[in-house]
Amino acid sequence: MKALTGNRLTDGEVVFWKAGAWVERFAEAELFDDAQKAEAAEASAKSQQTVVVDPYLVDLIESDGLWAPLSYRERLRALGPTNHPHHGKQAEGGAAIEALRHASGAARSSGRVKLIKR
Amino acid sequence: MYQYDTLDKEFLADRAAEFREQVGRRLAGEITEDQFKPIRLMNGLYLQLHAYMLRIAIPYGSLNPTQMRALAAIGRKYDKGYGHFTTRTNLQFHWIKLADTPAILDELAAVDMHAIQTSGNCIRNTTADPYAGATAEEIDDPRVWSEAIRQWSSLHPEFSFLPRKFKIAITAAAKDRTAAKVHDIGLMLRRGRDGTMGFEVIVGGGLGRTPYVGPTIKEFLPVNRLFSYLEAILRVYNRHGRRDNKFKARIKILVAALGAEEFARQVEEEWAKIGSEGDLPDTEIARIRGAFAPVHFDTLVNRSEIFEAAKAADPQFARFARNNLREHKRAGYTIVVISLKAIGETPGDATSEQMEVVADLAERYGQNDIRVTHEQNLVLPHVKLDDTPAVYAALKAAGLATPNVNLISDIIACPGLDYCALANARAIPIAQDIARTFADEDRAELVGELKIKISGCINACGHHHVGHIGILGVDKKGEEFYQLTLGGSGAEDAAVGSMLGPALPAGRVADAVDTLVDVYLRERQEGERFLDTFRRTGVAPFKEAVYADAD
Repeated sequence: MKALTGNRLTDGEVVFWKAGAWVERFAEAELFDDAQKAEAAEASAKSQQTVVVDPYLVDLIESDGLWAPLSYRERLRALGPTNHPHHGKQAEGGAAIEALRHASGAARSSGRVKLIKR
Repeated sequence: MYQYDTLDKEFLADRAAEFREQVGRRLAGEITEDQFKPIRLMNGLYLQLHAYMLRIAIPYGSLNPTQMRALAAIGRKYDKGYGHFTTRTNLQFHWIKLADTPAILDELAAVDMHAIQTSGNCIRNTTADPYAGATAEEIDDPRVWSEAIRQWSSLHPEFSFLPRKFKIAITAAAKDRTAAKVHDIGLMLRRGRDGTMGFEVIVGGGLGRTPYVGPTIKEFLPVNRLFSYLEAILRVYNRHGRRDNKFKARIKILVAALGAEEFARQVEEEWAKIGSEGDLPDTEIARIRGAFAPVHFDTLVNRSEIFEAAKAADPQFARFARNNLREHKRAGYTIVVISLKAIGETPGDATSEQMEVVADLAERYGQNDIRVTHEQNLVLPHVKLDDTPAVYAALKAAGLATPNVNLISDIIACPGLDYCALANARAIPIAQDIARTFADEDRAELVGELKIKISGCINACGHHHVGHIGILGVDKKGEEFYQLTLGGSGAEDAAVGSMLGPALPAGRVADAVDTLVDVYLRERQEGERFLDTFRRTGVAPFKEAVYADAD
């Protein structure tokens, strides 16, 4: 499973693709289980030059029935900096944010480490 | 401090207006990101993980209260009410919007500040001794030379597209507080036997993936020949630096490849061609020196009864005085170091309110002078001992009186993976863990001088190679791990640290540091710092303890 992300041009905010538009919350991101559809969306996103900067696909893992970015870096982008829990997307709290935070534990115990070679 | 003239002010206003137009064209789709990126980087604007980051130049770490207040106001208006002081003595805002940046550059220009040459392959901000003009150790004021370098290197057409970025440090004291030996060029001001001044010139030091302590290529460069010699160094580098490989493009690689002797020979050859036409006239140096005319000092006795009484009455103030005050060249004055390393906070961060408190104190008690150190602290260089209790009280009320300068919790940490697009691992939470482990102030003082430096990737913005204990974040199969090095130093006894052993997971780093400190306390001999003990014993006892603990 994949999601499509980038930073919004005007303010640098982390955004996720949702059916041709961009949303700020990972929980609302469109998820792709079809690689071709994901790549088509990425190509389309790259043409939105005045909206988003450097869009790219990220791999997801399942954690307690929810999807979360596989890499720690991408989870951090979807949450905000850990030294300021009230800054970034994590500030609004709620179940979706908790699920992302929780995903780290699940990811470490899954096969994630085998997927990303150093 | 140096004041911009009308020409400087007009230039900055024009530059901000130019960037406003460029941002407009980017937002309208008239230029692509590939075309715009180098333009925004030339104005210090990076795109990081969560937002844009604006890196503002603080030339040789010197600020006046008006500038500090302007930074505080920008932090409040356009960021989240804080800023991050860096190891280049600059200030970064981490939550900037592209659309706001032209307005921010206008506000900076209004107080003679900008973000030019804080990115790109050009000559970056010069590091100078943060105690310049205040310490009795110096033989001249390094700010005079730093300002001359700033003017010479700003938009220098020949040196705006070097093979890679280029950093210079200057100290005029034997005790080096600038990390001069790990800069592209380190200049150490010396007095010759005949009483004249000259620079020891060190070239090709650096950190990053290939750390080097730079070799000295000239023992004594007469000060009036500085600029022709700098030009010769930069020319040799510009001609032969590796433009084909970003990782081998810094001058240190060229110096190491040629050997210091051959590099020096080529510089001498080039220098002879340039001749003294490449030097700054003495009148120009004198003009700049005039801008740093000595501040007015009262004639005082060295002992302040107010200061002594305050120490006797308040053990916390006495602790602050022991750790955060430094000897001033004038009787009755002191240098106050303000730690931006409160336990559990982010190293180098200051809130807008804190910046304003420091600005107020500089104005009221500190001759309108503020410095930023490469160790991510602030300095009030000229405070009367009589005023230190009042300064301390104001700092304490603002959460700025942490009495830990040069102690184990005075940690350098880069922003790391919490903000930086290049990082492999976080640095800030590691610093916070270690600081909490050593929150006991008595124990921290017992341990004494111990410099911990943390980087979230091999680019080494956190100077980990030259930490007494260095910590490097690495990505190990997708997880954050930390590689420890021991025995580094960025001071006059510069050294690159040696690897302790296999990388540790995040949760074990603070414990490992605790173990290293226990070994030091067990092994140390009279008067030895952690670094001295390590140099005497070698890595073995430390390694044994950490990895025995780690099963």
